[in-house]
Amino acid sequence: MRLVVRTFSELCITVGALIVLFVVYVLYWTGVQAASASAGQIDTLQREWTSTPVRTAAPVPEVVPHAPGRGIAVMYVPRLGKDWKWPVLQGTEVGTLKKGLGHYTGTARLGETGNFAVAGHRRTYGDPFKDFPRLREGDAIVLTDGTTWFTYRVDRAPYRTVPTDVGVIDPVPAKSGFDGPGRYLTLTTCEPEWGSSHRLVVWAHLDATRPVADGRPQALDS
Amino acid sequence: MYGWIWRHLPGNAWVRALISIVLVLAVVYALFQYVFPWAEPLLPFNDVTVDGQ
Repeated sequence: MRLVVRTFSELCITVGALIVLFVVYVLYWTGVQAASASAGQIDTLQREWTSTPVRTAAPVPEVVPHAPGRGIAVMYVPRLGKDWKWPVLQGTEVGTLKKGLGHYTGTARLGETGNFAVAGHRRTYGDPFKDFPRLREGDAIVLTDGTTWFTYRVDRAPYRTVPTDVGVIDPVPAKSGFDGPGRYLTLTTCEPEWGSSHRLVVWAHLDATRPVADGRPQALDS
Repeated sequence: MYGWIWRHLPGNAWVRALISIVLVLAVVYALFQYVFPWAEPLLPFNDVTVDGQ
């Protein structure tokens, strides 16, 4: 009898310790890993950009699709923090989203006509979109691909929808208020903060472009 | 369970304590490296895309 009680209590303590460790892993350790992974991705991108000569303003149209998991751009959102900076990687696989934001496969390329759609974690893995609900009309979303700065402007406060609503990343997203083809950007994340029953969506349109050689866009420093 | 492990470790109390610490660290490492990365995607924090599923 004593043996049974002792074994049972030891089991309970073990399970409790496991749960605590798992919480530490989810809340803290995924953030540590994401911070180093995303910094590594940004470093890799910036090394590539400085090692290849800056292309002219009218490059030959590239039709090569981005390789899955590769970095394609760096995103800055001043509203989410002055130092908020995340790499955008190709694809929205689970493993890719652990290292940065993910560009939906099959949506438009950065700055092109259509919809450049990007997904990111709201919580865990560095919490990139933790303050997503604070985005408002007129907020700047700035991206660079090493050649050009693209400044998008948010068109309305986050829109709440269900996970099956794939129309939100269409070239002309339904319900966005856009009435024709254009250069759009869509961000998606989960809602509620720790749940998965819904999604939050923000739409933006391309407002300005600027060659990297001309310096940072004003939107980043205002 | 833990008493059984303790009784089967070699050496005196200090050596046993040292081996125990190493064992605990090995278990924590295995959890963080293999078990938790496998378990974490089963929770809903990863669902950030619209995908029709």
